[in-house]
Amino acid sequence: MKHITKAYGPLVANDDISLTLNKGEILAVVGENGAGKSTLMKILYGLESADSGEILINGEVRRIRSPYDAIACGIGMVQQHFMLFPPFTAAENIVYGHEPKSRTVFFNRREAVKSVKALCTQYGMYIDPDVKVADCPVGLQQRIEILKVLYQGADIIIFDEPSAVLTPQEVTELLKTIKDLKRAGKSIILITHKLSEVMAVADRVMVMRLGNLIKVMQREETSIEEMSFLMVGHTLKTREIQKIQQGRQILSVEHLTLAGTAGKPVIDDVNINVRGGEIVGIAGVSGNGQSELIQCLTGIRKFQSGRIIINGTDVSNCPVQENRDSGCACIPEDRYFWGNAAEATLVENSIMSHYKKTHLMKHGIFNKKNTCTFANDIMAEFDVRYTSDRQAIQELSGGNVQKLIVAREIMQHSPFLIAAEPTRGIDIGAIDFIHGKLLEKREQGDAILLISSELTEIFALSDRIYVMYEGRIAGEFTREEATIDKVGLLMMGGALDG
Amino acid sequence: MNNLYLAAVINTTFRYTTPVLFAALGSLFCTKAAVFNVALEGQLLAASFVAIVANYYTNNVLISLLAGVAAGAFVAWIVAIFQIKWKVRDMVVGTAMNLLVQSVTAFLMQIIYGSRGTVQGFGMVALTKINLSFLKFSPFLYRMFEDLSTIDYLGYIVAVLIFIYFKKTVSGFHHLSVGISGTAADSLGVKSQRIQIRAVVISGILCGFGGVVHAMGNVTVFAENMTSGRGFIAMGAASMAQSHPLVAIGSSLFFGTMLSLSKTLQGYINSYFTEAIPYLCTVLAITVYGVIVTMQKRKPAMKA
Repeated sequence: MKHITKAYGPLVANDDISLTLNKGEILAVVGENGAGKSTLMKILYGLESADSGEILINGEVRRIRSPYDAIACGIGMVQQHFMLFPPFTAAENIVYGHEPKSRTVFFNRREAVKSVKALCTQYGMYIDPDVKVADCPVGLQQRIEILKVLYQGADIIIFDEPSAVLTPQEVTELLKTIKDLKRAGKSIILITHKLSEVMAVADRVMVMRLGNLIKVMQREETSIEEMSFLMVGHTLKTREIQKIQQGRQILSVEHLTLAGTAGKPVIDDVNINVRGGEIVGIAGVSGNGQSELIQCLTGIRKFQSGRIIINGTDVSNCPVQENRDSGCACIPEDRYFWGNAAEATLVENSIMSHYKKTHLMKHGIFNKKNTCTFANDIMAEFDVRYTSDRQAIQELSGGNVQKLIVAREIMQHSPFLIAAEPTRGIDIGAIDFIHGKLLEKREQGDAILLISSELTEIFALSDRIYVMYEGRIAGEFTREEATIDKVGLLMMGGALDG
Repeated sequence: MNNLYLAAVINTTFRYTTPVLFAALGSLFCTKAAVFNVALEGQLLAASFVAIVANYYTNNVLISLLAGVAAGAFVAWIVAIFQIKWKVRDMVVGTAMNLLVQSVTAFLMQIIYGSRGTVQGFGMVALTKINLSFLKFSPFLYRMFEDLSTIDYLGYIVAVLIFIYFKKTVSGFHHLSVGISGTAADSLGVKSQRIQIRAVVISGILCGFGGVVHAMGNVTVFAENMTSGRGFIAMGAASMAQSHPLVAIGSSLFFGTMLSLSKTLQGYINSYFTEAIPYLCTVLAITVYGVIVTMQKRKPAMKA
């Protein structure tokens, strides 16, 4: 790609960027959200067109106007949000768009299964071609995506944030797959902001910031520190977490049990307590009851037995509003599903859960000026980058959306905060920022329950750690006792000796 | 009630089923491509009307049929352009189109025939009937299938063809995939919008057949707003069948039976009530269906 420039209105997403990719090479493209790496890849994959610049493949200038052109040029992309059809089988998804036919109109599914099996053997990535995608865990879905790209005959494969949704085990598997593909002669572009992955697999690293190409380096010549410095533009200081005086009990969950369908409870006799000035982490592979726990705590879901006491009030099975009134705020795990209204404006999204305050609303009518000021204030304080407070929140990048939600919930100044996956899929700068804000809240003496499938996050912030496995609390550690090995073992259903 | 009377009721049921079945197939064809087509009623009515007008001028069955089908397709095409290309809400487009067709047909009736109400006679011809002479051995069976047209049978064949199309062909596979995720289809070079527009136009063609049978199947007649909600009944039939083309035959027959009962019971029960039967049954059936589906959905949701 040579001299690629792309602007959206006044915002220059890519400013004269050139990159080369050699055969059989893994090139990592790193940068914060909004650095322009996604835009650059969309141009390469034909989802966007560049204002100027050209793309050469094997020395020839190619015009790529649609994904279809890109596929024809041998470029494939494993997107962050999988482009799969859940009700269809793996084989059907893989051959999609290039289906083997019989008598010109009929879909020859038997042939499809056969070629998928052949493809699996060729690349050593195994899947059951007849399994429905809906029944596959995320890691397997990603493997199906990769096989699909290979089936389309791609020589250049773009991975867009491939590890964002994976468990640690799946990430290891993925990195191995990427290396295998390189060995098979494929050229790979890896877009990520997880620098440890870059160090593990990449040959070269390209750092982008604010639409500019900052530096291209050989992996051996750089370090995680240098890359993060180049990405963010300043150094991130490592945080010392001060031990502080813990306050009174803010949250206590007693014998909480939520029945499942198959007779087995989803949450099984869970006891949790969190004191003021304390961050308590819940570690666990996602799907072990954490989501349900959050729903019970916030009042979205009714449970069968047990008690939840927040800030001295028994809120068991109380409606959401009463729950919040008692002093509970929540950064939900899925910012798009629970956390915001995609088509609503930034102001509207900011005042959710605040709107009843008298300076924002009187007699059922909003005070427009105050709501705007409020929204702009919290967005300024939490470094949300936006063009207009009237724009729809769906126009913001994931990191900025998350910062807005965190801002909204922290600004509740509630004694208790649930922070569920507060930094999932966002860049280092934003992660660092949010972590800072959570610690600030802790220092103010509030209680935080941190639920995360990212172990490093749990370890970075928590004073105490619970491990959840199959709906039960499998173990509890203080900061001093906990090690990645011990917690990881319990997360996988193992038991500690003694 | 004697046997032959029952046979006659069944015969009426078949007649009433055909337009509903065609429209239901049109509806599910759209639904499978993630398009909610509310304009079925208008598509049916336009086809009925244009078929009768063509019949009035030409007295030719084939020309009338083609004209009717073309009218259904044309109305559907307008719907597709608004709804899919310009992204107008389905309810808005559908309701507007239904009302528009209803008033335009009434208006044109006034212009062409000088009166509103009913158009009949003028040497207009009905669809060609098929009488299965090999059934003559049994008066019951003979009466049951008496005077049905080719298109009445065609409905069931089309249902099977659509089933095969979805199940076996690449094109049908793409059609279904667009119904699941248009974005994913687009990202893989399958043009979802084109498939959706095609689906709506095909629903118009299907409704075209339905509308023609409705106007020219039994007595050749057009009356103002003569489809009287059959498009909506068909939507009910399609959703009750969970958009499965073969099950849609069953659900359409159910509504056909209700329509037929509402006519045949008129001699016995207050006609205001009998007239309401099909609509009451639609509400009832959709409620029952809705409850069942919600219960089914709740189960896996609990598991997840």
